Amino acid sequence: MAYEPVLTKHCAARDGYTLDFYVKNQRGYEGLRKALALQPNDIIEQVKASGLRGRGGAGFPTGMKWQFVLKDTPKPKYICCNADESEPGTFKDHVLMERNPHLLIEGCAISCYAIGAKVAYIYIRGEFYHVQEVLEAEIEKAYKAGFLGRNILGSGFDCDVFVHRGAGAYEAGEETALIESLEGKRAQPRIKPPFPAVAGLYQCPTAVNNVETLCNVPLIVLNGPEWFASLGPEKNGGPKLFCISGHVKRPGVYETSMHTTLRELVFGEQFAGGMIDERPFKAIIPGGSSVPLLLEQDLDTPASFDHIQKAGSLLGSAGLIVMNDSVCAVWLAMNLLHFYRHESCGKCTPCREGTDWLFKLLLRLESGDGQPKDLDLLFGVSTNIVGKTLCAFGDAAATPVLSTMKLFRGEYEAHVREGRCTLPAPWRAAHPVVAAHQ
Amino acid sequence: MARVTIDGRPYEVPDGGSVLGAVRAARVRLPTLCHDPRLAPSGVCRLCLVRIAGVARAVTACTTPLADGMDIVTASPELAAARRGILRMLAARRRSRAALIDESHPYIRVDMSRCVDCYRCVQICDEVQGQFVWHVRGRGLDTRIEPDGASLRESACVSCGACVDTCPTGALEDRLGAAHGAPDTWTRTVCPYCGVGCELDAGTRDGRLVAVRPVIDSPVSRGHLCVKGRYAFDFVAAGDRVTEPMVRGRGAWRTVTWDEAYAVVAARLGDVIRRHGADAAAVLTSARATNEDNYVAQKFARAVLGTHNVDCCARVCHAPSAAALRRVVGAGLATGSFDDIERAATLLVCGANPTESHPVVGARIKQAARRGARLIVIDPRRIELAAYADLHLAVRPGTNVALLNAMAHVVLAEGLGDRAFLAARTSGLEEFRRFLDAWPPSRAAEICGVDAASIRRAAVLYATGAPATSVHGLGVTEHVQGTDGVAALINLALLTGNIGRPGSGVNPLRGQNNVQGAAHMGCDPGVLAGSVPVDQGRVAFERQWGVALPSAHGRTLPQMLDGAIDGSVRALWIMGYDVLLSNPDAAATAQALAALDVVVVQDLFLTETARDYASVFLPACSSFEKDGTFMNAERRVQRVRAALAPRGGSKADWQIVCEAARAMGAGGFDYAGPEAIWDEVRALCAGARGMTYARLDRGGLQWPCPSLDHPGTATLHAETFARGPRAVLEPVPYRESSQTPSTEYPFQLITGRTLYQFNAGTMTGRTRNADLRPADLLDISPDDAARVGVGEGDAVRVISRHGTAVLGAHVDATVAPGQLFATFHQPAVRLNAVTGEGRDPVTGTPEYKVTAVRLEHA
Ligand SMILES: Cc1cc2nc3c(=O)[nH]c(=O)nc-3n(C[C@H](O)[C@H](O)[C@H](O)COP(=O)(O)O)c2cc1C
Ligand code: SF4
Ligand code: SF4
Ligand code: SF4
Ligand code: FES
Repeated sequence: MAYEPVLTKHCAARDGYTLDFYVKNQRGYEGLRKALALQPNDIIEQVKASGLRGRGGAGFPTGMKWQFVLKDTPKPKYICCNADESEPGTFKDHVLMERNPHLLIEGCAISCYAIGAKVAYIYIRGEFYHVQEVLEAEIEKAYKAGFLGRNILGSGFDCDVFVHRGAGAYEAGEETALIESLEGKRAQPRIKPPFPAVAGLYQCPTAVNNVETLCNVPLIVLNGPEWFASLGPEKNGGPKLFCISGHVKRPGVYETSMHTTLRELVFGEQFAGGMIDERPFKAIIPGGSSVPLLLEQDLDTPASFDHIQKAGSLLGSAGLIVMNDSVCAVWLAMNLLHFYRHESCGKCTPCREGTDWLFKLLLRLESGDGQPKDLDLLFGVSTNIVGKTLCAFGDAAATPVLSTMKLFRGEYEAHVREGRCTLPAPWRAAHPVVAAHQ
Repeated sequence: MARVTIDGRPYEVPDGGSVLGAVRAARVRLPTLCHDPRLAPSGVCRLCLVRIAGVARAVTACTTPLADGMDIVTASPELAAARRGILRMLAARRRSRAALIDESHPYIRVDMSRCVDCYRCVQICDEVQGQFVWHVRGRGLDTRIEPDGASLRESACVSCGACVDTCPTGALEDRLGAAHGAPDTWTRTVCPYCGVGCELDAGTRDGRLVAVRPVIDSPVSRGHLCVKGRYAFDFVAAGDRVTEPMVRGRGAWRTVTWDEAYAVVAARLGDVIRRHGADAAAVLTSARATNEDNYVAQKFARAVLGTHNVDCCARVCHAPSAAALRRVVGAGLATGSFDDIERAATLLVCGANPTESHPVVGARIKQAARRGARLIVIDPRRIELAAYADLHLAVRPGTNVALLNAMAHVVLAEGLGDRAFLAARTSGLEEFRRFLDAWPPSRAAEICGVDAASIRRAAVLYATGAPATSVHGLGVTEHVQGTDGVAALINLALLTGNIGRPGSGVNPLRGQNNVQGAAHMGCDPGVLAGSVPVDQGRVAFERQWGVALPSAHGRTLPQMLDGAIDGSVRALWIMGYDVLLSNPDAAATAQALAALDVVVVQDLFLTETARDYASVFLPACSSFEKDGTFMNAERRVQRVRAALAPRGGSKADWQIVCEAARAMGAGGFDYAGPEAIWDEVRALCAGARGMTYARLDRGGLQWPCPSLDHPGTATLHAETFARGPRAVLEPVPYRESSQTPSTEYPFQLITGRTLYQFNAGTMTGRTRNADLRPADLLDISPDDAARVGVGEGDAVRVISRHGTAVLGAHVDATVAPGQLFATFHQPAVRLNAVTGEGRDPVTGTPEYKVTAVRLEHA
């Protein structure tokens, strides 16, 4: 049975993003009307029953997260929508915000109602100037139409939605760093516990949810949790956006169910359409740059949170980075560590110092000056980072090294032995990136 | 207690707190780098990683809450490798050095090439001092710690030294004493400056004071200090310390032996008393001397000289606080504690500038406001705390009483009083209400220059935000209505039930470290040690001392000076007090001092008073060179300990007084040491009975502490007032100051302290604090500066009816138009030539806070 998109169906329509279009063609704000007739807790129960899992990276059940939000408190509560979308290889949230903004706005309002919040902040990535414009304009329209503001749809429920654009830092996407940044401080993470559900924004109970996560909420309320769950494998229900990039013919954002296998996503005609120039497939990073690589033998895995985890990686932000045989594992790791060492927030020692060590060691290997002991050092530094940093960034940063060393140890050893990369890589030869990295 | 297993062994450790706390309690070694008990746990360095059974990831002990039954592993090959890795990486980083060294600050050397990015400096400057100087800039390996100015000297830094104290590396270092090497001995004692009474550790090496650091477990300062306590200690070793006794003969000083000096003192005082009677002699003591010093000094006056003419410098600062509190609630003492700052929901700061004058309390107030406590500031100037306040009432100088009456009016008119408290614990409400009927905010608004709505709002904030505590300073007391002003504050507290329970109270911020103690030890003509009125205490004291107490009333400090002029006072013994610089109307003071036959000065330095008027100079030693106790503003008696031997031939004040007394043939002055003196105080004063030196060892005890098992008293008047079951609500009519502006003297001058200097500058003037604030300045509002054509730095002459002084102008928007502010720290400026003769009629406290002046270009 062919999958019928629900999040992005009208993305290509010229005025698909407008309020009128949304109301006419997507039963816009009906979910909100329906939700306001329910008890807040009923909505949390529906979201739990739907099995919706966070689309920001960790795949944590959204209903459960909402349930943890402290109830008995005189303090205000908040929804923070994580629209930082900075994970390399991830570019789905901006599509939703630009092309279907009212779905997110409606999701924010319903989510606020569900957890007892009156304010949602949409924290968008520093570089998303254009997204800010679209979002703010459409939020304005939602206010005018009475879907936001005071006494929404005569229910007595008040809700405000604000857009806050960050200053351009990957770490600002980590939920507690995002909260700090919203408070006007540096985007550096807090220690947990307390979790945001107990002490988040301004030390008040807060739920931080990804854009795509919140966009699913109106659909669940509208079509029911059973419908949502039925779209995908068990506990992996609902529509899912996949961002496919790399050496494929048609990179882009594809919406499908999590039954779809990696192979279909990479090679399927309705998806990325196969490898560019028909070069051999080498590896795929299935969940944004922070997760372990998978190989050809793993391609028949359905792209669901649980299946990918079973295969040894993570679905993460569903950023599928596809690589052909021209990609050197050492170079890949170096390229990614160049990103991580630049983006490390600098708060905790192993990450701040360790990412730089890793990058420099990889650079040395790439430049042909690697020593046999460097491989042990790479491994040692990586293991001293994994599981030992303040936030999950550390794990994310060490993963490319550990994963490539595990899968392509031979390439590392060849770099040491030969003093150069031994892969047939005409494309890279034409692009001397090492020089640029120094 | 929690039962935990650490590295396989069972322990019982205090519950609450963190895993690190448990590990430390079990005395298991675990390295830390970013941990500091003063700061919120940050988990930055990751050195304290441990494994806890059942937890998937390694966790940092400092950030992980302890739970009963935890099975903790601190040592394993994995953890050791992680720690070694961290240290190796930190050790390996080398940044280009020169650019990272900042030597702009006189006390703090910055060398960020040694920084390990633990963020402790950032945190302590934010979370403890509240100055936000250090910023983290950049990210990743480019992370840098930088001040908020071009250099530390040009930043918002207030030189508290907290960041240096917490820095685990040499990135931030004290410059003082660096040349002499690290201290080898640390002595816990109390700061020689303000009435907050911070405990500090004095570090010495080779008989030299080389460093001071805060005491973490001090209940008062909680591991914090200000620039004075932390850095301004070099006066101890100043080259001009006088260390041998001197006698003046025919205009010139002659160094003599102690015995000779005592003989001269005995002869000359004896002579005055023989010829003019005992009441022709008088003793002035110092709020910078210990309780023991002050106690023996007043005993000397009363038992040896035979006069109640004994007073101390509390007269010129907080005597009105003591008088009003004694009158209304029965004890001339702060009713609460500094801890009430954290417990209060509302803080009222009236006529005080704590961030400059009582910086450690100021920092605590700032942090309380940051955490969300309501803050109301009543002060003519837009002081630093005004920026943190919900409301700042810029009251016209000298009009506190009108403002506070109007606030009381609002409380009653709007029914915001605490009815139960009023009914059970006060009397006179109806009469008080009738009196207040005449004080609507609109009337006060005219007088105070504050709009009526703000007065009302202040009253509502204070009355509805229980518990509310007020702290006040000399901006309340140093007025002709000083005692009345304090009484009006007490009235507000009584109306709202804000006395006698935690988080409430009326709390004077004492100016010098032992203001509370000096007066409380009986250096006041009307009261004996323990603040017992002379007549009540007579029998007990006569029995203890074995002499009859004089019957005539004694004189207060201003009365002594008046007596000097009319010839009834002939001899003055001054212990640690530069009367000439400190008193208002300096010309009149000089005239009085010149008229005396004998002036004995006991001090560290040849003060202006000593230089010009002393006949005998007795070199005293500093509080770093003696033992004893101080009593801080919250009635806490704390131990002072000698970190150094007295310099040269100088001696402790108590010792000088006792030896002089013995030279005059008196008995009862052969104490083995300060502890013996204190034990005599304990024998005489019920409130001190439980305070043995042994019990005072760490953190001290709050007066009263009547028995050896008593924990001391944080909150007075909890059940009943010291004066009885009910306090009387006293109408406090407003009287106008005579120093209101006129066409001839159009400005009102306020005098006060700055952070970096202390009173007459005797101590701070001999330290590098002078580099941080070099001179007394005249702060003038931008409007007035433009109008009278005064520019930044211009020398201006300030002229009052009493005298003139010349200062540099500083254009400062925190000062209201029509007002001027100046400090009085510089002997050369002698600002007190300008201040007038106005006095509080109850206590004689001078009206330092308002003088009508005009300006001229100098
Ligand atoms: C270094 C780092 C960067 C992250 N960046 C993002 C991001 O850009 N967008 C996002 O939605 N979640 C990001 N996350 C995950 C968030 O911390 C958080 O788990 C997520 O916003 C929760 O929303 P969800 O439950 O809806 O997925 C990041 C996490 C880490 C550790
Ligand atoms: S792991 Fe990296 S990003 Fe996370 S707190 Fe530490 S330094 Fe910052
Ligand atoms: S000395 Fe005090 S005020 Fe100055 S930077 Fe350090 S902590 Fe902040
Ligand atoms: S200067 Fe010192 S306290 Fe501040 S971050 Fe560096 S090492 Fe830590
Ligand atoms: S001491 Fe625990 S992380 Fe630094």
